[in-house]
Amino acid sequence: MVLSDLARILVVSLYALGTVLYFVGMFRRKEKLKSAAGLCALAGFSLHTVSIGIALAQFSFATLPKSFYIKLLSWSLLLVFFIVWWRLKLGFLALIASPLALLLYLASLSLPSEKAVMPESLSGLFFGLHIAALFASFALLAMAFGGGLVFIHLERKIKTKEKLLGFRKDLPSLATFDKINHWAAIIGFPLFTLGLVSGFGWAHSAWGKVLTWDPKEVVSLLIWTVFAFFFHQRLAMGWRGRKPALLAMWIFVFAVISLVGVNYFLPTHHSLKP
Amino acid sequence: MRNDIYLLGLNHRTAGVEIREKFAIAVCGPSDSPLFPLAPPVREIMVLSTCNRVEILAVGQGPGIPAAILEQWAASRNQDMAELEPYVYVHQGMDAVRHLFSVASSLDSMVVGEPQILGQIKQAYVQAVNQGTTKVILNRLLHKAFSVAKRVRTETDIGSNAVSISYAAVELAKRIFGDMSQNTAMLVGAGEMAELAALHLLRAGIKKIFVANRTFERAEELAKQFKGHPLAFDELFGKLEEVDIIISSTGAPHAIIRAKDIKPLIKKRKNRPMFFIDIAVPRDIDPDVNNLDNVYLYDIDDLKEVVDENLAQRQEEAARAAGIVDAESASFETWLKSLYLHPTIVDLLKQGEEVAAREVAKTLKRLAPYLAPESNGEVQRSLEILAYSLVRKLYHDPISFLKRRAEEEESVQRFIDIARRMFNLDHEDAPDDAHLDRKRNPADDPPGQTCPPQER
Repeated sequence: MVLSDLARILVVSLYALGTVLYFVGMFRRKEKLKSAAGLCALAGFSLHTVSIGIALAQFSFATLPKSFYIKLLSWSLLLVFFIVWWRLKLGFLALIASPLALLLYLASLSLPSEKAVMPESLSGLFFGLHIAALFASFALLAMAFGGGLVFIHLERKIKTKEKLLGFRKDLPSLATFDKINHWAAIIGFPLFTLGLVSGFGWAHSAWGKVLTWDPKEVVSLLIWTVFAFFFHQRLAMGWRGRKPALLAMWIFVFAVISLVGVNYFLPTHHSLKP
Repeated sequence: MRNDIYLLGLNHRTAGVEIREKFAIAVCGPSDSPLFPLAPPVREIMVLSTCNRVEILAVGQGPGIPAAILEQWAASRNQDMAELEPYVYVHQGMDAVRHLFSVASSLDSMVVGEPQILGQIKQAYVQAVNQGTTKVILNRLLHKAFSVAKRVRTETDIGSNAVSISYAAVELAKRIFGDMSQNTAMLVGAGEMAELAALHLLRAGIKKIFVANRTFERAEELAKQFKGHPLAFDELFGKLEEVDIIISSTGAPHAIIRAKDIKPLIKKRKNRPMFFIDIAVPRDIDPDVNNLDNVYLYDIDDLKEVVDENLAQRQEEAARAAGIVDAESASFETWLKSLYLHPTIVDLLKQGEEVAAREVAKTLKRLAPYLAPESNGEVQRSLEILAYSLVRKLYHDPISFLKRRAEEEESVQRFIDIARRMFNLDHEDAPDDAHLDRKRNPADDPPGQTCPPQER
């Protein structure tokens, strides 16, 4: 128990240190600080990975504590961020990924460690798909949110010919920020769909009916509708730039509302409340 | 013997272009005999002459040096000294050092932060080295100037934003498209600025350039220059769908590209962004184009504004750069002072004694188990005598050699400098690659372009 407490403190401090170093490196323009921040985040992430592995080995699916899920969400966010960093060279998104992951991790520590109430007839496959697909999709939306924020700001400045001096040349181009939005559509939406379908499939096998009109289910379906619209506009109608950036940001906001508002304050079988 | 550094010069602020032309010192080949042969009291000299400035750097002793150089300078141009004198500034000592560092860092340039001046100084220096007119002090001073310029460039933003219209346009394109390796550009009409912009685009890695012109021959000619594809003028609209960046500079009396021409293209292009650069007056592209989504239009006034902002920012950065120049001047001053004989001997002996003291302490520690407590002091004294006399005897010959050289005015500085470096008295770490470029042939450098085409 002491060892795992130490690991938790270490993860939190590594994430916090990484976040602070990245912000300072960004604004003071010190590449070395940014690399150090990356190393801190990577070290914290490795430790985080190990602790998740241990938790998975220790508990069976049905007995995992509620806090585990939020910890897993924090982990998925960083995983997706590292992939985006590697593939799109958007290390810049650390500005959103690292504080958010830290926040989620801290939130997971404040949650009760009691186990979540799980239906008996639990199928590991459904469960894994449901959680993994939705968390990865949430992480992609977070990236699209951060990318979209900068895109909209930078785009407006270029369009209105305002001063660009505050923006440095090492900042990625509009095209790069648009690419992360594209990822949110072509990868994020199918994952979100998969997550919902496996969730309903699981509900069917557990409770015998697909839809139980639980608040979480209703909100998720609403979000899915907006997400589907986004997917369609981006891929079929060829939307690019400002409009899809804004739309993806809204979807992320809805997802956060659904995560915080519904899971915490409304009576639902996804409740995080003790 | 004193080393006074003098710097005489005129620049675009002190003298008009006629005067600068009159007194410019022709750039000659390295084999030519120097314009200013070394003659006492001048021991070292270097001449920099560009279209915006002449700077003559001299090291020697005696207050008569500036006047002598001025006279030689006027005479070499067959002009009267009295005519030259009012335009010339004379800096001495640390002021001269600071001025040189500012010039090398491009803080004194007409367009602050433009890097060509550094190359010009390097060339002037290579020439002076080949003519044998630089020695210890100028060698050190110029190398220091190069490193100051490099520091200013990396530690401030002085050169990081475009200050020419065509380059500002390409910087904006980079903001929109990134590396541009998948993007296509089109020149509509030709003109110096449009061609420059096309060159910048090529250098930035653009995939393909189309050139459309009213006279097809001219389009072909330009296309060849940019390895592009010529287009007849009426093919232009057909190709617009493929093109991401359009640089327009025709002499047309009114707009040739309108928002209603572009609107249908946007859908066909699946909203891929387009960037229009209109450098024609009157404008070629209807300003309404900028209101379309994912389409950006900059005309010449917009670009001018960007350039003006960047220039203002360079001025701010220049203040930070001046701090670097001051700090580096101070460190050069320390070195200059150390070039006298006495401080060098003191440093040398001090270094030797430090080594001796260290070794004595180490040996005593090792001997401690074998020594009786009462003999301890005696052993220490003997060891110290041994070590210190070794140092003094070993350093005796180098020191008397330096003292003998001090009798000869010419060579003492060189030997003092060598001694300081050989014994590493200034505690400098030479990087491994310090002398890699020694063997490079200066003739490999591109020939100096003293007056690049002025864009603005």
